[in-house]
Amino acid sequence: MTDERSAWPLWTADQRAGELAAQQQREAEQLTADQEFSTLGLAAPCAECGRPVRPDERYCENCGADVHPEVAAQSAAGARSEATVKLNRPVQPRPACLECGGEVDSDGYCQTCGTKAPSARDRFEAGPADWVGGVCDRGVVHSRNEDAMALWASPASASTRDAVLVVCDGVTSSQDSDVASLAAAERARDILASSQPTGLGTTDSHDAALEAALIGAAAQANEAVIAHTAADSANAASCTFAAAVVHGARIHWATLGDSRVYFLGEGAKVQLSTDHSVAEELIRAGSSRHDAESGPQAHAITRWLGRDADDIVPTVGVFAATTDGWLVVCSDGLWNYASEPAALAAVLLEAADQGGSPTEIAARLVKWANAQGGKDNVTVALAHVVATLNTTSPAASPDPSGSDGAHPASTNVKETN
Amino acid sequence: MALFTSAVYQNEFLPDGGTDVNAIVTIACSGAGAAGQTGSGDAGEIIIVDTSGSMGDRNMQAAKQAAMVALDHILDGTYFAVVAGNHKAYLAYPMVQSGAGMVRMDARTRAESRRAISFFRADGGTAMGNWLNLARALFDSIGGLAQKHAILLTDGENHNETQQQLDLAIRNSAGQFQVDCRGIGVDWKVAEIRKIAQALLGTVDIIPNPSQLGQAFAEMMQKSMGRGVAQADLRVWIPQGAQVLFVRQVSPTVEDLTQRGVPVNPLTQAYPTGSWGDEERDYHLQVRLPAKSVGQEQLAGRVQLSVGTEVLTQGLVKAKWSSDTNLTAQINPEVAHYTGQTELATAIQEGLAAKAVGDERTATTKLGRAAQLAVRTGNAEATAKLRKVIDIDNAETGTVRLKRAVDKADEMALDTASTKTTRIRG
Repeated sequence: MTDERSAWPLWTADQRAGELAAQQQREAEQLTADQEFSTLGLAAPCAECGRPVRPDERYCENCGADVHPEVAAQSAAGARSEATVKLNRPVQPRPACLECGGEVDSDGYCQTCGTKAPSARDRFEAGPADWVGGVCDRGVVHSRNEDAMALWASPASASTRDAVLVVCDGVTSSQDSDVASLAAAERARDILASSQPTGLGTTDSHDAALEAALIGAAAQANEAVIAHTAADSANAASCTFAAAVVHGARIHWATLGDSRVYFLGEGAKVQLSTDHSVAEELIRAGSSRHDAESGPQAHAITRWLGRDADDIVPTVGVFAATTDGWLVVCSDGLWNYASEPAALAAVLLEAADQGGSPTEIAARLVKWANAQGGKDNVTVALAHVVATLNTTSPAASPDPSGSDGAHPASTNVKETN
Repeated sequence: MALFTSAVYQNEFLPDGGTDVNAIVTIACSGAGAAGQTGSGDAGEIIIVDTSGSMGDRNMQAAKQAAMVALDHILDGTYFAVVAGNHKAYLAYPMVQSGAGMVRMDARTRAESRRAISFFRADGGTAMGNWLNLARALFDSIGGLAQKHAILLTDGENHNETQQQLDLAIRNSAGQFQVDCRGIGVDWKVAEIRKIAQALLGTVDIIPNPSQLGQAFAEMMQKSMGRGVAQADLRVWIPQGAQVLFVRQVSPTVEDLTQRGVPVNPLTQAYPTGSWGDEERDYHLQVRLPAKSVGQEQLAGRVQLSVGTEVLTQGLVKAKWSSDTNLTAQINPEVAHYTGQTELATAIQEGLAAKAVGDERTATTKLGRAAQLAVRTGNAEATAKLRKVIDIDNAETGTVRLKRAVDKADEMALDTASTKTTRIRG
């Protein structure tokens, strides 16, 4: 009987004969299985099926259930307990996922929805003051971001509110235009921010000084583009140029190509700049804006910065705000979806009504453009202009057409899209 | 510490509206070390030998020799036990009546266990569920074994217990220990043994001739002792709103893991892969995603190998929607290859099953498709094994005839090897 109390069904040569005899007897009894164990001395029944189990058995012969579950439970707890899982190595905090707000993993993708977090070049923001901000974004369709943006604002302690907003849109058909456009925008911003020319104190001399500064900044930006272009490049890097300088409520601007400057508020909705593009020439020739801007050469620009540019003197203008509003400097990735000032103003003012910083408002406009298709890179730079700060001049008249009539349409054309 | 690396093979481009992403992820392990010797815990080995009456003198003698050879390959210090199985399961070594049912291998225990095996005599029936239950109890009697592996040898069908009893024993053992199974002779059922091996992350093979048994046992034990990574999981993360259509191991053999996932967090499942030596394994993942607009890119899956809670390597499966049909129409060669290999395994198994029940038409169609796939994908082993069961008239079209006289062992060898795949790369 000692054998039957052992934990292990021990196999030995001597025991074998006895076991066999017992087994043969059991097999014979299997036909009347219900009584099988009645002759063997009953123990506690199996918890699973209720059949009696011999004391030396670990598992029920009928259903296979573990009749000493506490033994298995112990080992399971010991060997297979799993601590709280930490999936990722420690990483520096990253901005939340743009799609779902989830955490972005160190591999560059959202941990929740898998959306790829844009690289620092594919999407970046700037907010140099609480009234100036912008977002430069790859958009949806293009594989890289060739738009560029550079912003500056005077410190909050300064006596006047000054800002510089520069947007450059790299020409897709040229090489390295993403590098060139960023170099151009940053160079122009740096020049304009470091030499805030005020002229001789009169409005006229201030305007003249800034006009010269903007033309100079465009020339410097052109140098920057050329410096980033290989001398033997068959397809020289090139980009548009749109810059605006805010001094109180007075806005000076300069453009080359089809990046635009708008002033949009409740009281004034104006497109300040005029495109240097095939579309614009079609409009002058009598086409409707819609037809011209959706035509086959809608995105062909006639002037630009770059080694192969004929003329790098931008069209310049000045605008004095008489009502509060937003200065908008943007690439065609935005205005493609709302070209008319009134249409763009509607989108902007709705975004602004939700509150937040200019950067957040610009981000809403970018998101809106991407939701419309995001067919091009999208850049939106904003400055909130307060009319009562217009102390340097009695209301100057808006000059949306610019002062540059000296540059007739060129036959030299580039596709920006 | 073992080094794991991963590589992803896929066409990440999806057409507009496309939702299904396929990828082959190769995971390689190097510097695995030896089982139980890497400082991460002890290893345990159990040799289970069929001692049922059907073994007869010749097979019993070969099995004893093979078990002794296997003992020689168990590294000193490894916990081990020997189980004799018929309609019951007996602890043959160590000869203890209670307490720890396994002992460490050394010169003395090796000699004693050889002696115990020498007393084996063929008698009784077959109940493999009992063998597995005893093995599990023996492993459990040694606290904290990091790695548990058994070799199971049988020669016959599981006559002495119900299907439910065997299934329950398999279910209770899954995730507890691994079992490599070998069948000797031709009286055992491939499907029955494959079920055990697949659930317990092991292999299955036929030993047609008893003289080959020693070599087979030596190889199995050597391989097991070379697995220094005790237990690893394949972890698959998918984005919110996505769905894993399947996860398969596709090399060295086809194993569907889809239903074996254990949730790690709401977006991640862990699929047990057992122990690892220095080796490479390939996995095929198919994920369904909500379609995004053309130009968008997103991650479709993170495929990771983890030991415990530590992620040791990660492959990224991506999705990029594109309107360029030159990009989206391409099928990745690795994905195509393993899709074919998986279909090959199914065609062989279904063909043989149809043949076994006398459905010659289905058998001819399925095995014809198998021959076509085996030749097309360069699976020489499967082609050679198929040729012993069918005459291939035209491999291109899959036109075949069933051979009239087939050696049962050849048919079983084709069946057991059906899940073995070839690799597309050298």
